[in-house]
Amino acid sequence: MLEAGRHPNINLLTYSEVKSVIGKSGSFTVKVLKKARLVNEKECTACGKCIEKCPKKVPNEFELGLGIRKAIYLYFPQGIPAVVTIDKENCIHIATGKCKVCEKFCEKKAIDFNQKDEMITLHPGAIIVATGFDMYDPTHLTQYGYGIFKNVITSLEYERLICAFGPKNGNLTRLSDEKHAEIIGYVQCVGSRSLKDNKFCSSVCCMHATKEAMLAKEHDAKAESFIFYTDFRAVGKGFQKYVRRGEQEYGIKYIRSRVAEVTEDEEQNPIIWYEDTETRTVKSKKVDLVVLATSLVPQKDAPALAKLLGLKLNESGFFKTNPFTPTETTKSGIFTCGYCQGPLDIPESVAQASAAAEKAADVVLSKNGGMKGSEETRKCIVKKNKPEKKKNG
Amino acid sequence: MPEEKHVSRIGVFICSCGTNIAGFVDVVSVTEYAKGLPGVVFAQNNLYSCSESGTQSIKDAIKEYNLNRVVVASCTPRTHEPTFRAACEEAGLNPFLFEFVNIREHCSWVHMHEKDRATEKSKELVRMGVARASLLEPGEMIEVEVARSALVIGGGISGITAATALAEMGINVVLVEKEKELGGLIRALFKLYPVDELASEFLKKNINKLRKQKNADILTSSEIVKIKGYIGNYSVSVKSGNKVKEYEFGTIILATGAASYEPEKTTSKKTLFNYDGRNVITQLQLEKKLSHSSEVSAIKSIVMIQCVGSRVPERIYCSKICCMTAIKNAQIIKEKNNDARVTILYRDLQTYGVEYENELRKAKQAGIRFIRYARDKPPVIDTKKKTVKVYHELLGIEIEQTYDFVVLSTPLVSQPDSLKLSQALKVPIDEHGFFLEAHVKLRPLEFATDGIYVCGCAHWPADITESISQSLGAASKAAIPLICGKVSVEPVVSHVDETKCSGCGICEENCPFGAIKKDSETKKAKVTEVICKGCGICATNCPEEAITIQHYKGNQFAAQIEAAFKEE
Amino acid sequence: MTRVKENKSVLVIGGGIAGIQASLDLAQMGIKVDLVEKLPSIGGKMAQLDKTFPTNDCSI
Repeated sequence: MLEAGRHPNINLLTYSEVKSVIGKSGSFTVKVLKKARLVNEKECTACGKCIEKCPKKVPNEFELGLGIRKAIYLYFPQGIPAVVTIDKENCIHIATGKCKVCEKFCEKKAIDFNQKDEMITLHPGAIIVATGFDMYDPTHLTQYGYGIFKNVITSLEYERLICAFGPKNGNLTRLSDEKHAEIIGYVQCVGSRSLKDNKFCSSVCCMHATKEAMLAKEHDAKAESFIFYTDFRAVGKGFQKYVRRGEQEYGIKYIRSRVAEVTEDEEQNPIIWYEDTETRTVKSKKVDLVVLATSLVPQKDAPALAKLLGLKLNESGFFKTNPFTPTETTKSGIFTCGYCQGPLDIPESVAQASAAAEKAADVVLSKNGGMKGSEETRKCIVKKNKPEKKKNG
Repeated sequence: MPEEKHVSRIGVFICSCGTNIAGFVDVVSVTEYAKGLPGVVFAQNNLYSCSESGTQSIKDAIKEYNLNRVVVASCTPRTHEPTFRAACEEAGLNPFLFEFVNIREHCSWVHMHEKDRATEKSKELVRMGVARASLLEPGEMIEVEVARSALVIGGGISGITAATALAEMGINVVLVEKEKELGGLIRALFKLYPVDELASEFLKKNINKLRKQKNADILTSSEIVKIKGYIGNYSVSVKSGNKVKEYEFGTIILATGAASYEPEKTTSKKTLFNYDGRNVITQLQLEKKLSHSSEVSAIKSIVMIQCVGSRVPERIYCSKICCMTAIKNAQIIKEKNNDARVTILYRDLQTYGVEYENELRKAKQAGIRFIRYARDKPPVIDTKKKTVKVYHELLGIEIEQTYDFVVLSTPLVSQPDSLKLSQALKVPIDEHGFFLEAHVKLRPLEFATDGIYVCGCAHWPADITESISQSLGAASKAAIPLICGKVSVEPVVSHVDETKCSGCGICEENCPFGAIKKDSETKKAKVTEVICKGCGICATNCPEEAITIQHYKGNQFAAQIEAAFKEE
Repeated sequence: MTRVKENKSVLVIGGGIAGIQASLDLAQMGIKVDLVEKLPSIGGKMAQLDKTFPTNDCSI
């Protein structure tokens, strides 16, 4: 992340959206709307004073609503660029003309309520779509109790709870009573491998459940984790070893099962009702917390983006590619990589991103049929940055 | 580059790394401790030192406190040493005046249940790091010109894809394949998945595309005999027939693929599922039969067994491609003869993603039976009665089925010569013989050694889709230095004090890289810096103590050792 | 020698791990990249994860 933010050849356009694309491979014209943050990016140092003083609190999207942020905020503390943003919909000054306390306390005078959205025109030779995924909302799958029982959460919500800089500073506490969750049940394939919801397998959930169970144990030696799975998918490099480690060193119990329902007792402890397929019996397990491994699905705005770019989606809503040309979309000059083209884990996404880069480079680099001297028209930055001054003492 | 005496002004940054370190080490206490160490004028605890705010705080402190040395105590240098060195450089401090102390892999991660002792150990490690930092000397990266061509080792689909991609970018590429034909394992296949295409057609298409490239040289029936050098300047000897030709390459891509595991055949001893290569065969042997339509139509009953020789204590990994291979072949048999009884005995079905789940659904709808067997209750084959007995988990009963063939889905394993190649290229392999990348997530196609890349099944079992992605990715990585024309290498190299050197030649004998040789004129040892890896073998073997390693000098080690044993 | 045609750039849409990696590869080849991200910061979903498998190191 940091490297991308610092590289002189990369122009970051955050808080921005692609609005139109015309042209063809080698010669596109793209209009990008750079939304006004109402903050001068060059001056802001993310010191946090404005955030401290801002009186307006709103649910924090990064924390999935589990924590709050202010109307002036950093998307997350280590975010790049390290610049605050004003949420226009919740800003008191924009609504009422009053407040402006952020501007009053900003030493760098970086707040700019007159800042306007900017339409930027780019002329890329190639485009790479790498828009990732969204989490599937399991609310309508009422059998699991999400949105009904407070102690049934999604895997991403779990990640935020257990994260050191998350809303609970890494303490795995229940949303019902703030008690520490010691016994955790992970329900796999929620909304996945289902003819009614998503037919596909999200590929990463078996592994991330194992990881989450390991984290629970690291945070609390008394933690007990039960993973309710259908087919266990751990195909990547080192994955089976990782799972074995989970079983042997972290005491994770893997139960092959079909979870039928989650209910709750009077103390709001979730109870998982499942068929243990190995013993062919219906059982139940009372836990402190249920973590639903929900399907990872195409972004909600993928159809709109596909239309803008003139790309086709496949029947599952991912950007359509051919398995033997995995980075090529249905339009020449536009490539894709990562989860937005289909379920991939991080190592696969990183490798495929390099593949997409190769394809895009092939479009914009001309070939002179062989290597000549160094009359390049661009700088290859062999050393990352020139030092401001050499300090050898 | 020796430095005049200086007064150390050391800044120490103790990283919490979220909870990775702070969860198991009292980082506040370590920070307070660091403040009292000799030469330390500033110490701070950061939540994530590698973040923008973390590195900015390092840069700010360098300027504000006029630091001339920086110590960061956090994770492994393999992840963020370049990040922190760059931060120092941006603040005007020579990047080699930075010391990295690992209190994560070396402390918090291995002492998770002993916070007090882990905290004490972190303090000791920081004390050692500070002692070394005060004696660090500035250094300059060594720029190297790059030979503008690439070598691809291996002519399977990965090698073919990588070589084609490089050639299309205008880069001269040589592909070396030890077999007579290009194509690797795919040559042995009948059809592919998830696209229903003949393997031979697929290969023909891709090989033709490569052959059309003007700047691609394809050498089949050829082998690498010798590799010397370093990124930008690899000297490679290739043997084709009885001729040996010398080449210079800037970068190398390893695309040597994998082998298909064949169980031992025996008639008297017990073998894996009574494998005999006649009626109990491997998937690869089945592929050969599938291309003969009449043979396939004659199959009345076939049982496939998954996880044969994989996901077992001797070979713990999952070979990723076997479930889909079985499903593909099962569907081919069913298409030819709908009455054929096709059964797949599995442990977990690896039909991840979109297309593979689709194929699984289609296979079930076509009447292919899937029966789960437990790890501790494997199927039993009776080769006389030609029956398979298996405990059906879902029904809770043992079932017996006759067969014409039992097909064992065996794993992909590393090539038998992967160790030899890893030694020749000085790149590591893992416990299974697959090449070990620099970082499994963030640098899956690279090695710690610059200039060499890996893709396809040489890295880990991969299907065609993933092999192609990786090959294109490796081509992208391999192209970067070639396009730039130059690379920088670290100045962590040997230095010979000629006044002490007796010309004994022990260093030359012991150097694994050929980086130090006795100069024919001066008769003294001379280092070729760009080849030197700074391993220290020459320095430790030198009887005259004439050799030092830049950035790892004797006095720096002595200071660390003294600090380690210091009584407090 | 391969040269960039008339200073053509590449547009990368999405600032998660895939978009970032693609941008870095291109940038290291000397190609100018515009990385567009709809959120106020790059990092994507990976930034919301505490640790990532199979190495369990941090996601930053």
